[in-house]
Amino acid sequence: MRTHPRFTHLAALLLCCAAVAACKKEEAPPPAPATAPAAPQAAAPAAFAVTSLDLGKQLGPDKKVTESLTVFAAGDTIYASVGSTGASPNVALKARWTYEEDGQLVNESVQTIAPTGPAVTEFHIGKPSGWPPGKYKVVISANDQPVQSKMYEVK
Amino acid sequence: MADKPKADFSDVTAGSSSTAPAPAPAAPAVRTYTVVRGDTLSKIAKQHYGDANRWKKIFEANTDILKDPDRIFPGQVLKIPDA
Repeated sequence: MRTHPRFTHLAALLLCCAAVAACKKEEAPPPAPATAPAAPQAAAPAAFAVTSLDLGKQLGPDKKVTESLTVFAAGDTIYASVGSTGASPNVALKARWTYEEDGQLVNESVQTIAPTGPAVTEFHIGKPSGWPPGKYKVVISANDQPVQSKMYEVK
Repeated sequence: MADKPKADFSDVTAGSSSTAPAPAPAAPAVRTYTVVRGDTLSKIAKQHYGDANRWKKIFEANTDILKDPDRIFPGQVLKIPDA
């Protein structure tokens, strides 16, 4: 039987189309499920923020005070544990301790950090000869902006 | 009536620490110098270090643009490492 050349060409063309379609099908990425969330993008790091300030006379290994206190004894070392979230390449955390009875500056310390997430920074002060009784205040600043403060008392 | 004496905080000891890392030290600023007609590495070394014999330090810092220490051209911007 003789096949008409037009049919041969048509068959060849159809075969080619089918082959191309098959190849394309293999290359095509799998369809995303309808409920799939959008592709995760690199989330911008959260801005740095001080979230907590606790005072105590003892620190745990996580630099948090083991017990939050507002009244201390004359011989105590006083710890201020500052919790923060967010990231920053450079934050100057400052603790300014004052004696509220006469407004006197007791101490000022700065800890410069580059947090990449939640962090705890501790400041501590001690006085070998004993703290004068009275009310005290500690103010925490981040880059010179006051962000937290706490009053405490020495009895 | 005499004023109450001020409390003495001269013996206060203090410290601090953090779970957060310390900031990375700032990268040293890199000085640059744009070559002008008549310059040589020795001349530039003399100008920046006060010692013409230190031309090699400049050459080594600029091997990305300099292949031959005797061939520098006006307009080339050279890095001048710290002394």
